[in-house]
Amino acid sequence: MRNQFNRQLEQLNTALITMGAMCEEAISSAAKALLENDVQLQKKTLVLRSDIKQSERSIEALCMKLLLQQQPVAGDLRTISSALRIISDMERIGDQASDIAERAPFINQGGGTGRVRIADMARAVIKMVTDSIDSFVHKDLELAESVVAYDDVVDGIFSSIKNELIALMNSDIQNSEVCIDLIITAKYFERIGDHAASIAEWVEFSLTGKHSDII
Amino acid sequence: MTGKIFKAILLVAIAVLLSCFALIFGVLYDLMKSQITDELQSAASYISEGISNEGMDYFSDLKVKHRITWMASDGTVLFDNQTDAASMENHTDREEVQAAILEGSGESTRYSDTFGEKTIYYALRLDDGSILRVSRTQHTVTVLILGMLTPVCIIFVSACVLSGLLASALSKRIVRPINAIDLEHPEQSLVYDELSPLLSKIYHQNRIIDRQVKDLQRKQAEFTAITENMCEGFLVIDKYTELLSYNSSALRLLGAEVPDGRHSLLELNRSEEFRKAIELSLQGERNEQLMNIGERTYQLIANPVQSGSVVVGSVIVILDVTEREAREQLRREFTANVSHELKTPLTSISGTAEMIKNGFVKPEDIAHFAANIYDEAQRLIALIGDILHLSQMDEKSEPLCSEDVDLYELCEDVLQRLKNEASKKSVSLELQGEHAVIKGTRQILDEVIYNLCDNAIKYNVQNGSVTVSVNRNGKQTVLSVKDTGIGIDPAHQERVFERFYRVDKSHSKEIGGTGLGLSIVKHGVAYHNASIALTSELNCGTTVTITF
Repeated sequence: MRNQFNRQLEQLNTALITMGAMCEEAISSAAKALLENDVQLQKKTLVLRSDIKQSERSIEALCMKLLLQQQPVAGDLRTISSALRIISDMERIGDQASDIAERAPFINQGGGTGRVRIADMARAVIKMVTDSIDSFVHKDLELAESVVAYDDVVDGIFSSIKNELIALMNSDIQNSEVCIDLIITAKYFERIGDHAASIAEWVEFSLTGKHSDII
Repeated sequence: MTGKIFKAILLVAIAVLLSCFALIFGVLYDLMKSQITDELQSAASYISEGISNEGMDYFSDLKVKHRITWMASDGTVLFDNQTDAASMENHTDREEVQAAILEGSGESTRYSDTFGEKTIYYALRLDDGSILRVSRTQHTVTVLILGMLTPVCIIFVSACVLSGLLASALSKRIVRPINAIDLEHPEQSLVYDELSPLLSKIYHQNRIIDRQVKDLQRKQAEFTAITENMCEGFLVIDKYTELLSYNSSALRLLGAEVPDGRHSLLELNRSEEFRKAIELSLQGERNEQLMNIGERTYQLIANPVQSGSVVVGSVIVILDVTEREAREQLRREFTANVSHELKTPLTSISGTAEMIKNGFVKPEDIAHFAANIYDEAQRLIALIGDILHLSQMDEKSEPLCSEDVDLYELCEDVLQRLKNEASKKSVSLELQGEHAVIKGTRQILDEVIYNLCDNAIKYNVQNGSVTVSVNRNGKQTVLSVKDTGIGIDPAHQERVFERFYRVDKSHSKEIGGTGLGLSIVKHGVAYHNASIALTSELNCGTTVTITF
C-alpha cells in the first residue's frame, strides 16, 4: 500500500515536470513567435496550450485520487496540495503564452517589437519560468526564493515598457493600435512572471510548510 | 511456540484430570455400592436375630442410620423406622421383597429423580416367614460430580496458569540457544542434534549465496568499468521513467549533478526532444533524436527494453555529435560553394557564347567577347586545378620528394613574381631576415608563400606594404607575412581557412581568386608538420605566422 503510494507520488512528480517543461516550451515558443515572427511556433504554442490543459486535468485527477485513497498527512499532504496549486498556475502560463502567440501576427504587421524592451521582458520571464520549474525539480529552496525576488525585475521592465509606449503614442498617434497590442502583450508577460513567482512560492511551501499567504 | 507448548501441556493436564475422575467414579462408586450392600446384609442379619429374640420390642431402642421395614409374609408393613407403618401400602410387588419371598433374600436399587439419589434395598425372609427390609440411600454420580465442581474448577484454572508459565519458560529455554546460533558460521554452533540438518543446509546455502554475490559484484564491476570508460552517456530507466542506472558521462553530457536516491530521469533534463525520446521508447519504438544543450549537439538513441511484448523500461545512449554536425554543416556549405563557384563562370561563358551564336554581337566586338569567355574559362580551370590540388593534399597523394629548401630564397623568388601585382596597387614589398634551410617540398612551400603574399597584396589598401620575414629561432624557423590591409573581423578569423569561405562574399569577382587559397596554405602547412597562426585587426592589417 505504502509502496504504491510512493509510486504514485513519483508519478505525480514526473507528470509535474513534464507539464512544467511544456510550459517552458509554450512561453519560449510564444516569445519566439512574437520576436521573430515565426508562424510555425505560433501554431505550436496553441497546440501546447491544449496539451497543458489536458495535463492539468490528469494531474488534478491523480491528486484527488491520492487525497481520497491514501489520506496523506504532513509533507506528503503539502506536496499534493501545492501540486494542485502549481498546476493551476502552470495552466494560466500556458493560456497566456497562447494569448501572446495569438497577438504576435498583429504586432508584427504593425511594425514589430523593436521599439520597446519586449525582448528583455520575454527573456526575464522565460528565465523566471525555467527557474521556478527548476526549483521544483531540484527541490531548491534558494532558487525558489530568488524567483520570487526576481518578480520585481520583471515588474520594473513592465513599467519602463509602459513609459516607452506612452512616449511612442505621444509622438506617433498613427501607431497607437500596435502600442495597445504591445502593452497587452507586456502585461501577459508580466502575469506569466507572477504565475512563475506563485509556483516558486508553492515550492517553498511544499519544502518548508511556510507560505507568505498563510500565516 | 509458547502457544503450542502451552496447548500441549494444558491438553495433557486436562486429559490426566479427566481420566482420574473417570477412574475414581468408575471404580470407587461400584466399590461403595458393594460395601453398602455388604453393610445392609450384615445389618439385616443382626436385626433378624434381634427380631427373632425380642419381636417387635427390639425396634423400640434400635438406633440405626438405615431405614428398616418389617413386613408380614403377605406384604403388610408391620414396622418402619422412618414412616408410620399403618399408612404404608402393601410391599409384595417390590422387586427385592418378591425375591426374598421366593429365594430367602433379594436386593434392588431404585433411583429417585427428584433428589438425585438412589436407594439400595436388601430384603431377608425371616424364619417365621416375615420379611425384613433394610435400605440406605446413596448420592448418584451426577450429584457427586456437581458437588466437586468448585474444586475441579480451581484445579483447572491452576492447571492453565501453571501450563502457561511452564510453556513460556520452556519455549524460552528451547529458543535461546537457537537464537544464539551464528548464521554466518552455522557449522560451528551445534546446539541441538536435531538442528544439524538445518544448520548444514544453511551453511551450504550461505556458500552458494556468497559465490553468487561475488559473481554479481564482479559482473557489476565489469559493467561499471565498461560504462564508466565510455565517453557516450548511458542511461537505463524503468517504465515510470525512474533512473535505474547511469554512467558519469551521461551526467556530464546532461550537465546534471549526481542524483541520490530514486529520481525520475526528467529531473536531469526535460527538453522537448529528450521527453520525446523517452516517451517513444517507452511506447516500444526505437528512436533517435538530436538535442541541443548550450552550444553542443547531442544525439539521443533510445531503445525500449521489452519483456515479452511488454515494455519494462528503456536504454538511452547519448552521443556528443557536435563535431560531426559541424563537419556535416561544412560539407553542405562546401558542396553549395563548389556548385556556386563552378556555375558562375559557366553561366557567364554560356551567356556570352549564346549571344555570339544568335548573332547579337557585332563582328568587331567578337574579340572582346571571346576574351571574356577565355577569362572565365581560365578562372574555371584555375578553380578546378585548385580543387584537384586540395583533394590530392587531402589524400596525401602528393609525391614525397623532400629536399633542402631555403625559405629566404623562395620568398625572394615569390616576391619577384608578384612585383607586377603589387605595383598595380602601389603596395610596397619588403623581405627581412636571414637564410633558413628546411626540409620540405619546394612546390608546396612555394604555393603556400605565394598564396599568402598574393592575399596580402589583394586585400591591401592603396600605398600599403607587405613585409615578409624569415627568422631562425633555435631549432624552429619562423616565416611571417605581415600586411597593412583591411584586416579580418574576429568573427571570421576562425573560418577563413575553410574552403570557399569568403569574408566579403559580394566582391569576390572583383578581387578574384578561387576562395581556396588559404585552404591550400593550411593543407600545405599541415603537410610539413608546421603550425600556422593568424592575428588580425580590422582596418589595420593581418599577420600570418608559420612555424616550421
